[in-house]
Amino acid sequence: MQNYFRMKFFYHLGRYVLLMKKAIGRPDGKKMFLRNIGKEIVAVGYESVGIVALISFFMGGVMAMQFAINMENPILPQYLVGLGTRDVVILEFSSLVIALILAGKVGSNIASEIGTMRITQQIDALDIMGVNSANYLILPKVLAGAVCFPVLCCLSIITGIAGGWIIGDVTGLVPSGQFVLGLTFLFQPFYVVFTNIKMFLFGILITSISSYYGYYVKGGSLQVGHASTTAVVVSSVVVLLFDLVLTTIL
Amino acid sequence: MIEVQNVSKSFNGTQILKNVSTVFEEGKVNCIIGRSGSGKTVLMKSIVGLHEVDEGKILFHGRNYTDMKDKQRKEIRKEIGMVFQSGALFDSETLEDNVMFPLRMFSDMSEEECRERANFCLKRVEVINKNKLFPAEISGGMQKRVAIARAIALKPKYLLCDEPNSGLDPITSIVIDELLHGIVKEYNITAIVNTHDMNSVMEIADKIIFIYQGQKWWEGSKEEIWSTDNKELNDLIFASPLTKKIKQYI
Repeated sequence: MQNYFRMKFFYHLGRYVLLMKKAIGRPDGKKMFLRNIGKEIVAVGYESVGIVALISFFMGGVMAMQFAINMENPILPQYLVGLGTRDVVILEFSSLVIALILAGKVGSNIASEIGTMRITQQIDALDIMGVNSANYLILPKVLAGAVCFPVLCCLSIITGIAGGWIIGDVTGLVPSGQFVLGLTFLFQPFYVVFTNIKMFLFGILITSISSYYGYYVKGGSLQVGHASTTAVVVSSVVVLLFDLVLTTIL
Repeated sequence: MIEVQNVSKSFNGTQILKNVSTVFEEGKVNCIIGRSGSGKTVLMKSIVGLHEVDEGKILFHGRNYTDMKDKQRKEIRKEIGMVFQSGALFDSETLEDNVMFPLRMFSDMSEEECRERANFCLKRVEVINKNKLFPAEISGGMQKRVAIARAIALKPKYLLCDEPNSGLDPITSIVIDELLHGIVKEYNITAIVNTHDMNSVMEIADKIIFIYQGQKWWEGSKEEIWSTDNKELNDLIFASPLTKKIKQYI
């Protein structure tokens, strides 16, 4: 049983590496490639702005409230609420949690899009025309992920902190001045760099893993659905593992 | 001219093609006929390289396609137009963009020239004033016609059609047949048409290859097919009560 899973893991890993090797290369039509990158930036980045901003705002607000309620102690200064919210939002929430949300939104979208193209022979049509289908379909998505995920991360940091600040102030749990003092207290700019490095990598992982599961779909619509679910699950697990590894290294 | 020499192909231990050899002649419509599951589509996909053959050779005007590397194959693939059973048009592109796709990828034409050529091809297949529609917005017959327009956009030397009439009413089938026949004669293309529609075969075939249980069972012209004593071929041709009645008058 253990051997079976080990074999399966190496089978998928090998096939994934070969697919990425095929995907990374000089694109055939430069104009078409640039047009595709534009389309993918809209699909991966622009269309995720709303959900990222909304979730970050409310999570930032809830975090600030939780900090304020649980740290209600005369010894603890109130600015710690701002400091805690800032560090949690920057270090983990805006990278890991947002990456997991995007794995669900972007990952399933990519896997089902490429999977549907596979079962309706659109990928075969590309191959027969002499187009490197992996390069044409996957590379723009991976590049868009690498560019858009750090941008979405910055957006999440801004809206998350803004959420904490506004909700803390509106509910009267943390005065605005104390929250801002916490935000600037012992601030380490490297945290922002660190979280963006993570998001850059997560962007590549999520888009490439989802593309892999879509590209190799066999069968019909049921299998496309299955591939889409598998892509989200595997991307999420890989993101969690890499988060652990990167936190240890960096 | 496409030559198939002693081609065999197996999937998971089941032999689908057994030592098939034939020649598809230039400027002629070469029809591959056979029952469902006889190996017609596998033969066609093997010819274009979507399946790697286990044994044998495929030659495009004397060029050994089987032993070629990907880069060399890519050059030949640019000379091939293929119409899939489902049409395989790109869902996310308009009809005009679908036809412009190979031109944008592989020609040095300007955007305006590409559009002109695409419009010419769409007019040739009698799809008029529908350029900005998406594939999902048109009928199956029209999708097939647009697929033909896309296949001929780069003026291919070889045109392969996998069951171009499947799912179409008899009148639309005749339109597609006439279109294919006209285009093949006009551009002197080597055409291979996979079908089990005997009306279509009798309408357009210059040469007929009958595949039975993965083997080439018979080949000849449409005039010869009426007088053949090949039992399996007769079973296929005269399967319906109508054709049985026609046979009585021959």
